[in-house]
Amino acid sequence: MTISVNDIRTDLVLAHEQAWAALSQPGTWWSGAQRRELATTALMAVSEAEPLPPWVGVSSVDGKISQSLVAPRTAHDTVYRIARHAATLTSDWYKRVIQEIDQLAFVELCGIVCTVATVVAFRNAVDLEVPELAPAKIGEPSRKKPQNVVSATLNWVPVIAPADKDAAVVQAFTAVPETNRLIWAMADAQYIPDKEMVDPNWTRGTLSRVQMELIATRVSQQRECFY
Amino acid sequence: MLSWSGNEQGIEIDLLSVQAATGGAAVDFAHELVEFATAATGFDQTAMAKSRDALIACAGLAVTIDAAAVIANFEMMTRLADSTGARMQTEVVADRLAIATAMGVDQVVSRR
Repeated sequence: MTISVNDIRTDLVLAHEQAWAALSQPGTWWSGAQRRELATTALMAVSEAEPLPPWVGVSSVDGKISQSLVAPRTAHDTVYRIARHAATLTSDWYKRVIQEIDQLAFVELCGIVCTVATVVAFRNAVDLEVPELAPAKIGEPSRKKPQNVVSATLNWVPVIAPADKDAAVVQAFTAVPETNRLIWAMADAQYIPDKEMVDPNWTRGTLSRVQMELIATRVSQQRECFY
Repeated sequence: MLSWSGNEQGIEIDLLSVQAATGGAAVDFAHELVEFATAATGFDQTAMAKSRDALIACAGLAVTIDAAAVIANFEMMTRLADSTGARMQTEVVADRLAIATAMGVDQVVSRR
């Protein structure tokens, strides 16, 4: 049986469309051209059957990415590593990366990878083509830094104060509000709306909560994610 | 969350079976859901199609699409957690260590 876009819930389609379109638009710390270029590298990373090993930067391999880049090589290396080898990341790795990339730009970069990974995973699972990235929209990043950005104990990235009141994954992207909004709009549509998280009986009428958690556990185990 | 939601609903959870991709929860379509999730995290298109067709056949289209959405969500959340250095409070880690060990993730690099 073939699955078509018309079979998919509208809220899920809209959440994916919104996040996918944003990949080619100016963000908070990266331009539209930079975001689109980094998304292209993330797409390559999640699609390669034989990936580069974690210790090889994608920008160091001839022919992998363009020689005339608009985003820094370090950003491309970082995107590839997160997209394909996330479970290998360490705090020492993060400290090296933020010597070259601003911490909040790093958060936005993580959001780009998360968007690509989730849309590609969904499309592959239901056997639909991954959509083309839109042409880059001209414009500068907003560079709007929230006033209450603080260090956290539960994440190595900075977050919005008060830190560590919410779970680490919930506060992780808060220092870049637009990235945070797009990611959690997808999470609400893909998994469970935030306000329903505490209800073990919540369902959309398809999967039960236990069935959802069974899938979540299997994917997290396959990705060697301790969290 | 799997253990919690199972306990809340009185459903038996066998983490070793989840790890072995043979099911693991006494719920409908457990084996097919785990097979689908396993195939979706790999690159074998034949296995992907076979597991998708099997799930559609037993559970229907809407369940299969929502299962794909949950898979997609955790392809996102695992990267979110690992890239931002997300960690649990020490006491939570201690509480969950037995589960992590059963799932074989107690020694992974992403434990922090």
